[in-house]
Amino acid sequence: MSSNRIPRIGIGGPVGSGKTMLIEQVVPILSAKGYKAGIISNDVVSKEDAERMRRNLVTERGLMPEDLVIGVATGGCPHTAVREDPSINLSVVEEMELKHDYLDLILIESGGDNITTTFSPALADYFIYIIDVTGGDKYPRKRGLGIENCDLLVINKIDIAPYVGADLKVMEHDAKIVRSSKPTVFVNSKTGQGVDAVVFHIIRDVLFEATPKSLVKN
Amino acid sequence: MMFMDTEISSEDVSILQMSDSFFPTGLYAISNGLEALSHVKKLKSKDISQFIAVYLKQVIGPSDYTALGKAYESCKKGDLTDLLNTDENLYFMRIIEETRSASVRSGNQLLKCVSYFVKNKKMLKDYQNGISTGNATGVFPVSFGVATWSLGIPKNKAGLILLYSFTVGIIGAALRLGRLQHFDGQQIIHELRPVILESVLTNIDRPISSMWQFAPGLDILQMKHETMVSKMFIT
Repeated sequence: MSSNRIPRIGIGGPVGSGKTMLIEQVVPILSAKGYKAGIISNDVVSKEDAERMRRNLVTERGLMPEDLVIGVATGGCPHTAVREDPSINLSVVEEMELKHDYLDLILIESGGDNITTTFSPALADYFIYIIDVTGGDKYPRKRGLGIENCDLLVINKIDIAPYVGADLKVMEHDAKIVRSSKPTVFVNSKTGQGVDAVVFHIIRDVLFEATPKSLVKN
Repeated sequence: MMFMDTEISSEDVSILQMSDSFFPTGLYAISNGLEALSHVKKLKSKDISQFIAVYLKQVIGPSDYTALGKAYESCKKGDLTDLLNTDENLYFMRIIEETRSASVRSGNQLLKCVSYFVKNKKMLKDYQNGISTGNATGVFPVSFGVATWSLGIPKNKAGLILLYSFTVGIIGAALRLGRLQHFDGQQIIHELRPVILESVLTNIDRPISSMWQFAPGLDILQMKHETMVSKMFIT
C-alpha cells in the first residue's frame, strides 16, 4: 500500500447512466471548497469520456492540470478492471499519488457495465453507484450488487421521470428496503439539481470533513 | 504409499497459479496490436494463429523470454546490478510508448501481488526497492523472472508460462473482438504448442547481449493503435 494514500472514490453504473456528467458536476463544487481531485476514467471502447472531462474541467474551466484526467482502456472487461484485476487502475492511481500528493481525493470512473458492478476494496475506499430513471421505477427493487452494496446510490435524470412512468417515491421506498440505512440521493446531473447532496456525502463520509490540503497552513 | 505420486510439489501449484489468467496482472487489457490489425483486415483463425506465432518467434522468445531467463539467473546469483542491467536493456527495447508503459504497470503490480504473500526473498525486495528509488522500471518479463524465481518455479517452466500466457492473452482479445469462436481459440493454442516449446528451448540460455526482436509490421500496427479514436485495449 502506498504510504501517501489519497482517498479514492469508485463511481460505477450502467452505460449512459450519467457517471461522467456526475463527475463534471461534483468536481467544480469540490474545487470551489478548496478540494483538489484527480480523475481516472475507464472507457469501454473509446477515450471519449476522458477527453470530454479534460475539455470541460481542464481546458474550459481550468480546474485542474491536464494530466489529472487519465483515460484507461479495459480490454472489453470494465468490471474486471475495477474488481477482479484492478492492476492497471492501481498502477495509474499510484502514479497519480506519487506525482500529485497535494490531491485530496481520486475519482475512478468505471466503464459502463451491468448491475453487478462493484469495486475492489484495494482500489476504492468508497463506492458510488449511479442509475437513472429510464430503466423504470423497478430498478432499485430488482437489486443487484451495485445497488445493494454501494456506499451511496445516486438516481439520475429525475427530470424525465414523469415521461418514462417512473415514480420517484417508489424508487426511494424500495431503495430504503434494499439498502437499509445506506443513503440514496436523487439528482439531475444535467442541471446540477441534487449534486450538493452527493458532495455532502463525499466530504463527510470520505474526507471526514478534513480541511482541504491546499488550505492547510504549514 | 504404493500409489502416492511423489512427482508433484508445491512449486507445481505455483506454476498453475502464475499461468492462470485469473492472476492479476492487467494483461487482459492488452491486445499487442491485434485490435489495430482487426480494423484493417478481416481476420480469420489462421491469421490470428500466424500473428501469435510471429510474436513468439520474433519478439517474445528472443527478447522477453531472454530477459526473463537472465533476470532469473541474476536472482539465483543474488546479483542485483545484473538484474537492473537486464531491466534497463529490455525497457529501452520497447519502442512503442503504450506497450512500454503497460509492461511497466503490469510488472509493478505483479511484484506487489507476489510480495504480498512471499516475504522472505531478498532479491524480490531489492528489485522493488530499485523500482521505488528510480533505479529500475519493473518491466513485465523481468518482474516475471523475479516473481517465478521467488516462487521456486524452474526457469524453463517460467518461460513456458510466459509464452503460454501471451498466447492465451491474444486468444482472449480475439474472442472479445469477435474475431474467433471459443473452439477455434483452443485449437490455436493446441496447434501452437511446438512453437511455444521451440521458443523456450531456442532462447533459454541466450545471453543478454544477443537479445533481439524484429517484427516491424507489428510495431507499426501498435503505433497505429496509439492514435485510434475508438478502442477496447490499451495496446
